[in-house]
Amino acid sequence: MIENDIFKALADPTRCAIFEKLASGSMNASALREGMAISQPAMSQHLAVLRNARLVREERQGRFVNYEVDPDGLAFIARWLAKYRAYWPARVDALKALLKDMDQ
Amino acid sequence: MNDTKAQAQTKDLVQDYELDAPPEKVWRAISIPALREAWLPKGDLADAAPVSSKPGEEVRYRMREDEPPFLESIVTFQVSPNADGGTRLRIIHGLVGASLMLRMPRAANSNLRCVMRAA
Repeated sequence: MIENDIFKALADPTRCAIFEKLASGSMNASALREGMAISQPAMSQHLAVLRNARLVREERQGRFVNYEVDPDGLAFIARWLAKYRAYWPARVDALKALLKDMDQ
Repeated sequence: MNDTKAQAQTKDLVQDYELDAPPEKVWRAISIPALREAWLPKGDLADAAPVSSKPGEEVRYRMREDEPPFLESIVTFQVSPNADGGTRLRIIHGLVGASLMLRMPRAANSNLRCVMRAA
């Protein structure tokens, strides 16, 4: 499931750091590697995992590829909707219980 | 960056509930912090104070997920009387511009540390 992919993608501290960097703005792989002790192939691999989880997307500009957080990623939205579709009925049940206990 | 594009991405979850209790009572349960806490814990809110409030009608809270990618959203509760003397509670929960709402926690002394919380 996509939700699982997101969790696995971000469970790795390096990938989480990469994702955090991209959350502040798009950049290419070499800019991403600055300040990180990580080889180019390793970076490519991490980016591939983030891309497969739909957390990050790439944009080709001539010879360069920029990476950015994927704002349209179905991943965010599908996961978020599924979570709160189930969340609210449970909360409203708790609200009903509270209303029964309250004084008029 | 792509702010306008992200902003255009609006996904709302809208749910209606019919409650037996009268609107005034439901209003108290959703707007008084001590009562709200009994059914909507503050751990699920980014801020225990409402974003906005129209007394007796509508209150909005900012919510925040407790796991990556820590999406923030706004939930609106609308209270109105229904035909049976009870209350219609409408819950509108919107994820507006996911990238704008994205908040990653920053470690105090390192910019290369992601904080993962155990579920």
